[in-house]
Amino acid sequence: MTKSGKRKFDGAAARNTKRRPSFRTILPALAAAALALGSPASVQAADPIKIGILLPLSGVFAANGQEALVGMKMYFDEIGNEAAGHKLELIIEDEQGKPDVAVTKARKLVERDGAQMLTGIVSSGVALAVSAFSKESKVPMIIAADGGVTELTVPGPLTNPYLVRTSQNGRTPSAVGADWAYKKQGWRKVSVIASDYAGGVDTIAEFVRNFCTLGGKAVQEQFPPLGTSDFGPFLTNVDRSVDAVVIFEPGADGLRFGQQYSELGLKAKLPLLDVYGQTVYEPNLPQLGDAALGVFSSLHYAAMIKTPENERFVAAFRKLTGKMPSDNGPDGYVGAHAIADAIKAVDGHLDDTMKFMAALKAVKFPSPKGDIALDSYGQVIQSIYIRKVEKVGGENANVPVADYHNIDQFWPGTVADYQSYEYKTTALKGSMTDCAKMTARN
Amino acid sequence: MIWVIHTLNGISFGMLLFLMAAGLSLIYGLMKILNLTHGSYYLVGGYIGLTVMRLTGSFLLAIVAAIFVVALIGAAMERFFLRRFHLDELPQTLLTFGFLLIFGDLCLWIWGGDPIMIPKPSILAQSVPLGDYVFPLYRLFLIAVGLVVAAGLWWFQQRTRFGTMLRAGVDDVEIARALGINVSLLFTLIFALGATLAALGGVLAAPILSLYPGADFEVLILAFVVVIVGGLGSLRGALVGGLLIGLLDNFGKAFFPQFALFTVFVPMAFILSIRPTGLFGSR
Repeated sequence: MTKSGKRKFDGAAARNTKRRPSFRTILPALAAAALALGSPASVQAADPIKIGILLPLSGVFAANGQEALVGMKMYFDEIGNEAAGHKLELIIEDEQGKPDVAVTKARKLVERDGAQMLTGIVSSGVALAVSAFSKESKVPMIIAADGGVTELTVPGPLTNPYLVRTSQNGRTPSAVGADWAYKKQGWRKVSVIASDYAGGVDTIAEFVRNFCTLGGKAVQEQFPPLGTSDFGPFLTNVDRSVDAVVIFEPGADGLRFGQQYSELGLKAKLPLLDVYGQTVYEPNLPQLGDAALGVFSSLHYAAMIKTPENERFVAAFRKLTGKMPSDNGPDGYVGAHAIADAIKAVDGHLDDTMKFMAALKAVKFPSPKGDIALDSYGQVIQSIYIRKVEKVGGENANVPVADYHNIDQFWPGTVADYQSYEYKTTALKGSMTDCAKMTARN
Repeated sequence: MIWVIHTLNGISFGMLLFLMAAGLSLIYGLMKILNLTHGSYYLVGGYIGLTVMRLTGSFLLAIVAAIFVVALIGAAMERFFLRRFHLDELPQTLLTFGFLLIFGDLCLWIWGGDPIMIPKPSILAQSVPLGDYVFPLYRLFLIAVGLVVAAGLWWFQQRTRFGTMLRAGVDDVEIARALGINVSLLFTLIFALGATLAALGGVLAAPILSLYPGADFEVLILAFVVVIVGGLGSLRGALVGGLLIGLLDNFGKAFFPQFALFTVFVPMAFILSIRPTGLFGSR
């Protein structure tokens, strides 16, 4: 620019440009040549595959979401963020654990950012909302982080052909827990305590149903409201003649329950089985200290699983974050692995969505949480572990004491068994001490 | 013996409720400000106590630090924000609600989303045997602290000159000012005192209830229930209300577990219907 601010018109340069062929004339020629010479694959090789990641990075589920993200990124980084010759572009959105926000962000990812699939998902509420969107927009959805609401992958009104889930579901830790409790521990009478909401009641009902089927019995049921700060009355009420106490208490409730169970002297008297491992969730362990020692839990992962895959994963995870992984990190890792394998199976061609879904359902690989495969409904078949809190190297850790392998979503029965039982929360609450009602079939 | 356990449990929870509600009641009763940021004072106080506890291992230091910092925050809020809307309830309430949200997010940002418990000081971390059962010593400690705080507040309000000035300032601002009482300073100090009580509640409750995003809202609701039952502005009301709710909640959950969701709110609804100003309310 000259001092007066006007651009100086350089006549010589202008004349020069008229003689050389301008870029505008060259470009179409180049493009034509490229199209003529290049095969479709090499043109597409430049196209990155866009993976939309929906996770709660703030709000109530922030810790779960962030850990799952670490796990996902760990896997994608290991494969160089590339599959079948395509670069993998991760577009991350924070859905805050809220279904309405999640759907808005999902829409943005697909319509504005061009995401070719959606993954992540922690809260079941979000899973349901985004599944509806995925079904309507025909966008593949891979629930990787949690989103364990059972109904999404069983035959029924919520089924979505564009959905697979590599994380977990609500009923398997209960079913396995019941089997272990009856057969391996020899428990026959238990007292159950679960948070008073659909997730809590359903999870513990599944335990009781399986326990009853085997010949056991729940002699007492208590449902503290969500957010109970003082479990004193419930704990004082526990029938001391039982063999064990079985619980499901999520989040802060789980932490408080764990502490009060010990404080009020119950831990010294009765073994505790925490279905789903919420009380002994890794961030709680250092805080509970001795109060957690000896508590059993059932979950699809344990940081202390002794396989080369897991040991390698845990070491890398600890190096990145300085903490032990809970189940969210490995779930994220496995979800990423499934996506990458499916992309490779279709050689990066995502236009045939149903073929991609079939490839997703066909994945099979060993992982930190054990061997992974999917059933025909898109739900993961994996291992469930019974863990016990023990001191390892001076710190509390969930150590596996029993492994159950190849557990599919209907274990120990079939889809027909699953469909024959009553699942209405309102019908189950209040009936858990009645084995006949719990095992009654429609 | 099980009755004794339930009673002690109810009283200890009631004392916690009293600590949570006293600050809210005090500020409203004396300044007619509905301080929704009260929940944040509780949570921020708790988190600061946690950090100090982690750094120094001293529970006492944690309490002192929490009280000091939150009192400053409370004083600053009153002096620079609330004073501009003196006696204008709606803007004040909205302002305090805004701060509630801001502090909540700040806490999430600084301390994260996982629930954290302040470790109990080792001398209090044991349980005493009571017949067939055991009862945590810490809860007995809470009962003691609650009584001491209640006595201290009563003495402060009734027997000190400061307390007298306070009551004068509330009864009639104009005359109090005419008598040379610095009412503005008084109000700032009262606000700080209310915040202090909330912070104390936060640190004392954290070893039992833990600290997590959302605790501020939950405490606010509980404090409101106590204050409605006991009467806004009455310290006696906060104590009686707290104990009543604590006991009713505990026994309610123990004997009518199917109504566990209601045990805190039913007494409130009942009191509201027969005595809308609360047991000791004086509006």
